[in-house]
Amino acid sequence: MRAAAAAAVFSLMLPAAAHAAPRRPLESAVVGLGVTYQGWDQDRPWVKRPPQFRQALAVVVDGPLLLTTAQMVADATLLEAEKLGLATRVPARIVRIDPQIDLALVTVDAPGFFDGLVPSRLAAALPTDGSVTSVRWKSRQLEVSTSRVSRVEVQASALRSVEHLFLLATTDMQGGGWSEPVFAGDRLVGLTVSQEEQQARVLPAEIIAGFLAMARAPGEYAGFAELGFRWQVNEDPALAAYLGMSGAPRGVLVTTVARGGSGCGVLHERDILMTLDGHDIDASGYYDHPRYGLIRFTNIPSEGHRAGEALPAEVWRDGRRVRIDLTLRPARSEADLVPDRRPDNLPAYAVLGGFVFRELDGPYLRSWGNDWRKVAPLQLQVWTWLFADDASPDRRRVIVLSSVLPHAYNLGYHSVSDLIVRTINGRPVDTISAVIEAFAHPEGGYHRIGLLPGGPLTEVILDVATFAEANTEIGAGYRVTERLRGEAPLPDLGPACSSVAP
Amino acid sequence: MTDGPRPLRMLRMSEQPFPRRRTPAAVTALLAALVFPAALPAPVARAAAAAADPADEDGFERSIVRIVDFSQRGDWSTPWEVSGVRTSSGSGFVIPGDLILTNAHVVSDARMLLLYLHGDPTPHKARAVILGHDCDLALVRPEEPGLLDGLPALELGGLPALRSTVETYGYPAGGDQISSTRGVVSRIEIHVYTHSGVDQHIVVQTDAAINPGNSGGPVVQGGRVVGVAFQGASDLENTGYAIPVEVIRHFLDDARDGHYDGYPDLAIQDSNLLNPAARRRAGLADDETGVRVEFITPGGSSEGQLEVGDVLLAVDGRPIASDGSISEAGLRFDFGLLVDRHQIGESVSVRMLRNGERRTIDIPLRLHPDLETHANLYDRMPRYFIFGGLVFVPLDNEMLKTYGRDWVSAADRRLIYEHLYRPLIDPPAPGYEPVVLLRRLDHPVNINIAWYRNQLVTAVNGRAIGGLKDLITAIETSTDRWLVLDLGEPGRFIVVDRAAAAAAGPGILSQYGVPEDRNP
Repeated sequence: MRAAAAAAVFSLMLPAAAHAAPRRPLESAVVGLGVTYQGWDQDRPWVKRPPQFRQALAVVVDGPLLLTTAQMVADATLLEAEKLGLATRVPARIVRIDPQIDLALVTVDAPGFFDGLVPSRLAAALPTDGSVTSVRWKSRQLEVSTSRVSRVEVQASALRSVEHLFLLATTDMQGGGWSEPVFAGDRLVGLTVSQEEQQARVLPAEIIAGFLAMARAPGEYAGFAELGFRWQVNEDPALAAYLGMSGAPRGVLVTTVARGGSGCGVLHERDILMTLDGHDIDASGYYDHPRYGLIRFTNIPSEGHRAGEALPAEVWRDGRRVRIDLTLRPARSEADLVPDRRPDNLPAYAVLGGFVFRELDGPYLRSWGNDWRKVAPLQLQVWTWLFADDASPDRRRVIVLSSVLPHAYNLGYHSVSDLIVRTINGRPVDTISAVIEAFAHPEGGYHRIGLLPGGPLTEVILDVATFAEANTEIGAGYRVTERLRGEAPLPDLGPACSSVAP
Repeated sequence: MTDGPRPLRMLRMSEQPFPRRRTPAAVTALLAALVFPAALPAPVARAAAAAADPADEDGFERSIVRIVDFSQRGDWSTPWEVSGVRTSSGSGFVIPGDLILTNAHVVSDARMLLLYLHGDPTPHKARAVILGHDCDLALVRPEEPGLLDGLPALELGGLPALRSTVETYGYPAGGDQISSTRGVVSRIEIHVYTHSGVDQHIVVQTDAAINPGNSGGPVVQGGRVVGVAFQGASDLENTGYAIPVEVIRHFLDDARDGHYDGYPDLAIQDSNLLNPAARRRAGLADDETGVRVEFITPGGSSEGQLEVGDVLLAVDGRPIASDGSISEAGLRFDFGLLVDRHQIGESVSVRMLRNGERRTIDIPLRLHPDLETHANLYDRMPRYFIFGGLVFVPLDNEMLKTYGRDWVSAADRRLIYEHLYRPLIDPPAPGYEPVVLLRRLDHPVNINIAWYRNQLVTAVNGRAIGGLKDLITAIETSTDRWLVLDLGEPGRFIVVDRAAAAAAGPGILSQYGVPEDRNP
């Protein structure tokens, strides 16, 4: 993650006096954040959309630094911090961001800004009943609401690669979900990441503690680990017996192991994962958490662990128990064939011959609106649902011919849109760089674009002799300020799991 | 494909993979067949057969009948069941041969058909003798011999001119009095026939009011039938569609031997050759036009005859423009109109350009091989097989409709891919039909199976499954203790204790009221 790497030079050392503060009012624990942000027009990725503004809240943590959710500072063009009771805002900047887990650390360079602010201490454990207090910045005042704890549950992280605990609470706050800090007494329980009607979803202190610890650790930010394999319940005695397991079924069945993931090379398809990190996993995929009771085992890699650690595990394989070590690998949503969220990247694209080529990803699909699952082109959706994590070294991204800027040069193709590109001039293309390179190798005076069947056509033919001239005219006519933007460096996928020695 | 401004982002026809004459459900959902849901049976107390109506100058109103269909459809979500009885009402008219011509959708899935003659309250039993679901036409014969004696058979005319006036006749809204409306022919085009959901043929569009119940009634000009009213567009005002005489005659010619074969199809996809570079690369001379063959459906008429990349220059001697249209009666239609004019078993003459060589070939015409899997199905029960309470069905359009009207967006993406995309991207051998584990009839022998709804079944004990009958054979000939069923998702499988499931089978069928374990 580029922002995370760039931020590593900032000091995250604990000041000596950070924990000396006595009980203090909430006003000294939170700071307002004004965020001016600007996203990209996904249809015309050379254009930025109109700038917008959002008001968020950050909580003061040891450092002193300001903690908020990554989504609050996404696409920020200007970040300003505002202390309660003061009319002035001062510039702020991101020092660490983890979009996967949805947390960000922000600092303010203005001298004296942190005077009078007191870092919050994190709750050691989540409350499982009773009430908590949610705080929101509204009209330059703090609005304090009470929430009732509903339950602790394992859910997918913001970028969906990590599963971890969330606290679910029923709140009186209207329209929350914008990074409101949640306190139990004077301890920070978590930050609200979303709210549906009265149900708030709170990113818990345990995850925040892990994030802060990794942010403060020297060297590269390790990140939270992904599970790295797909699984299904093992509740069926017939299936368990077929795999040679006697007695009541237990453990979960491994169905596929992700390339480069934590299970790669050590877990096999049709293994039954019996224990992980010393915890017995039941046939439904739950384990007995010491504080929260039965919760889904997928939480274990994020439960006090980080990428790079090895977790002991036992699998049922070939009719017997086998002990293995699962080395946790960092979550890498960016490695997906169809990345769901692109917090760090500008959209990569190329406008050539009036055709707009781009990577297929979540932001593009979501540009159809909240009901994109109903209205976005079916072909793109099918690819997203079925093959999103099928990246391989020779297929890193799906390239879409998203639209056509009509011109006499591309006559006959003006209504073409949202078709998946297979080849250009006979060369498979899986990145924008490959698209650009392929156009450098025309065939016999023509550019030939091969499209995946399923749309109205499978081949586009363009003239080479007038290609450059058309590019100039189309670029000028449609005010395409930049005709190309290459992709960010792609993460290493690692070797295929079958070639990894156990 | 047509030129024009980029459409709004909607689920458009061109965004779904259908060969020529294939139409997505999203389009057909906007159209409505025009039967009237007749909640009440026909009136019983009325005067005896009326004398000739003085307003009926041509005397043909007497030949226009009302048809009431008491129908039951198979239920594809519980494929051994039928729906409740639905009563609907449409229109029809007498043609030579003691027959009544109407729409197929007026008489589909009939348990009983009743005819009401003009001005006569007496119901007369009838039966559909020929159904053409692809052209939405049917022939009905009264069970009483001589019932139609004395009623003039209506004569067929030709294609009405654009802007000319036509009159529609029928029994809209289930009324027992004949109704007529007048309007102009506003458009003549190739259009979706919503009854099958996939067929496209020529239609006459009129602004004469065509309402539910008009279905099957004649559209008349100059005392001759120029169309059969059959569908409307729910999102447009004053838009009704009629099946023109060309299609009626094709149907009647086909049915002449007492059996309906259906419309032939080239079963290809093509694209325009409007772009100068594309035309040049295809080898077209400056004065030549044509379209490029994009896809050839395995098992269809064009397999072995055409190749991807061929340029179709002319059909039956008529040049194809580079947008795929031909000139006809001063209008332009898709060249498929010319193929439509043939019957199955005939050949169509195609002039084409391949590798710089121009040649003319005759292509023997067949049905489109995907009709059974992609069209709406009528007058049949769903196919299924139940083993150990697991219900297996073929993947087809009717199965996907169990997800509801918006199945295109609601159905499991694996099934959508298998149904719509895989046949184009990775065409299976002709005859292959995907099989789906539709549901489970809960029983201790199957209650712990992890995946049991709408799962594609790809293999049984390592044997690839090519269809429902193949699955039945694989299960019933197995002597293994376990049946391991590989499902469509990578790595996903279920295991069935074969002997236990077989032993539990009869009890499960009995408990759930399933009369047979199969309809293969």
